Amino acid sequence: MLRIIMACLLSYTALFAHADIKVKDEMGTFSIPTAAKKIVVLEFSFVDALANLDISPVGVADDGKANSVISAIKDRIEPWTSVGTRSTPNLEIIASLKPDMIIADVERHATIYKDLQQIAPTLILKSRGESYQDNLSAVLKIGKALDQEKKMLQLIADHDKRMDAFAKEINSDKSFLFAVSSPRGVYMHSPKAYAGGVMARLGLVSAIPNETEKAYISTTLERLVKANPDYLLVGEYGDATMIDEFKKSPLWKMISTVKNATYRETDALLWSKNRGMIAAEIMAKELQSFVK
Amino acid sequence: MRIHPTLFITALVAILFCFAIFHVGAGAIDIPVSEVFNAIASPISEHYFIVNNFRLPRMLISMLVGASLALSGLLIQGVIRNPLASPDVLGVTSGASLAVILLAVFWPQAPLELIPPTALLGGFIATAILLFLARHLLQRPAAFALIGIALATIFSAAIDYLLTVNPLEINTSMLWLTGSVWGRNWSHIPLILPWLAVLLPCAFLLSFKLDILALGDDTATSLGISVKALRVITIIVAISLASAAVSVCGSIGFVGLVAPHLTRSMIGNRHLLLIPATALTGAILVVSADLFARVLMPPIELPAGVLTAFIGTPYFIFLLCRYKNW
Repeated sequence: MLRIIMACLLSYTALFAHADIKVKDEMGTFSIPTAAKKIVVLEFSFVDALANLDISPVGVADDGKANSVISAIKDRIEPWTSVGTRSTPNLEIIASLKPDMIIADVERHATIYKDLQQIAPTLILKSRGESYQDNLSAVLKIGKALDQEKKMLQLIADHDKRMDAFAKEINSDKSFLFAVSSPRGVYMHSPKAYAGGVMARLGLVSAIPNETEKAYISTTLERLVKANPDYLLVGEYGDATMIDEFKKSPLWKMISTVKNATYRETDALLWSKNRGMIAAEIMAKELQSFVK
Repeated sequence: MRIHPTLFITALVAILFCFAIFHVGAGAIDIPVSEVFNAIASPISEHYFIVNNFRLPRMLISMLVGASLALSGLLIQGVIRNPLASPDVLGVTSGASLAVILLAVFWPQAPLELIPPTALLGGFIATAILLFLARHLLQRPAAFALIGIALATIFSAAIDYLLTVNPLEINTSMLWLTGSVWGRNWSHIPLILPWLAVLLPCAFLLSFKLDILALGDDTATSLGISVKALRVITIIVAISLASAAVSVCGSIGFVGLVAPHLTRSMIGNRHLLLIPATALTGAILVVSADLFARVLMPPIELPAGVLTAFIGTPYFIFLLCRYKNW
């Protein structure tokens, strides 16, 4: 009897000594015995989150181009192995890296969640189409999963302070809009999109405040004229894109931003693909310099 | 150029076997051919995990999907007696795609497991509409095919509309529909294997009647065949095969069109022999397409559907120019 009680007690304490790290994610609960060392991430926003903690992922789904990650983040971490595109990451390469943990995007990678789980515990969070607030809560979850919740909270608090300072500096009542332009079309980023969220965080008014349902909105030149932003930032994918066609039209000159010479072309990678605290602060800095 | 059927089928089996081994061996992580069997069988091999979790199921699914699509094309061409017919032309593929996209738009939270059955259902609904609209045209195969083309066009227009209006929501489903074997695993094999296991014998049963149908509707009728019933049954078998394939991999185009032509040019028009030969040819096409999709520019994965055309077309054109027996 005594033996049984002892055994029970022992297993009970053993259970506590091995308390797993548990985090609620988009597919249920992520659980891992100890904080991971070798991490593979399948979206750019997760690279930003790890870089904040000075952790270098061993593999990144970088679409085959390491330069897709902005240099401010790339310079802060060690080189990684590319695991293919974000939409169809290469499972073989991920497995061959023998990671302890994978961070995946619920939008893109829910279909391969089970395959990823077989390779390593997988934390699945929002990334594609996420808002500024979504990103911060995802970042905090990454902190928790790596057993660095306190440090991450501190980093978020520091980020908040810096964003407050930028907001104070910029302090503009004009309307702002960010859009990406590819050869296929121009897409406005609504307040629901990450770039829109950063603008809102800085106290700026969106030129399309009522578009709260969708993050990315395909637009014609007419619709852009109707939105009539005072400040328009466009990130181009490619040399000759749809926005260049817009510029040829007489309508183009009717947009406030063109009249006031506040139209700017900027880095699409930064503004659209790389979401995260580091990226947000660089965006804030750009906005600050534009407004001045 | 006619080859003895037994020889041809043996050669196809050998080619498929070679491609299957290459498929399992080559990729972002290279496994020497001599190592392949060891990697499949022995859990201590360093490649055991990759081979058994990713490559082997993918290879098998490619085979099954290729065989189903090719067989579907063969039956449709046999029954419509038109060399341009294929499952894509009859609107099955676009019907399946439309169903999946509708699911994504109206029920974005739907569990992912629902995508394959939805595609299957879409394929069947498309067939039901086609058979209903063309119920009086079953004696006129060309008109029947044209109604299929018209339906396929309407479905594609609806797909384009939904994609333009909801680009983000449809992402996951789109990936499913690009005709790719990426991300498929053992759990997808039960979605296609039973269909092929049941419908392949059905195809064999139909083969004699299809040979007679090739002599013309009148001759077939005078020999005691109910042409209309044969058409409907064959189309249902063919479309079930295509829908099952699309439900697993999305639309891998061209296989259903090319594979039957390739085999017909080699061994003639007897369906009993054409059925295994065409299924093998389709399997070879898709297995090789997925092989190249993975090895061309690693770690980037291309959709196999893009490569089937690249592999099949040159040979197809060569045959068309060289032999004028169609």
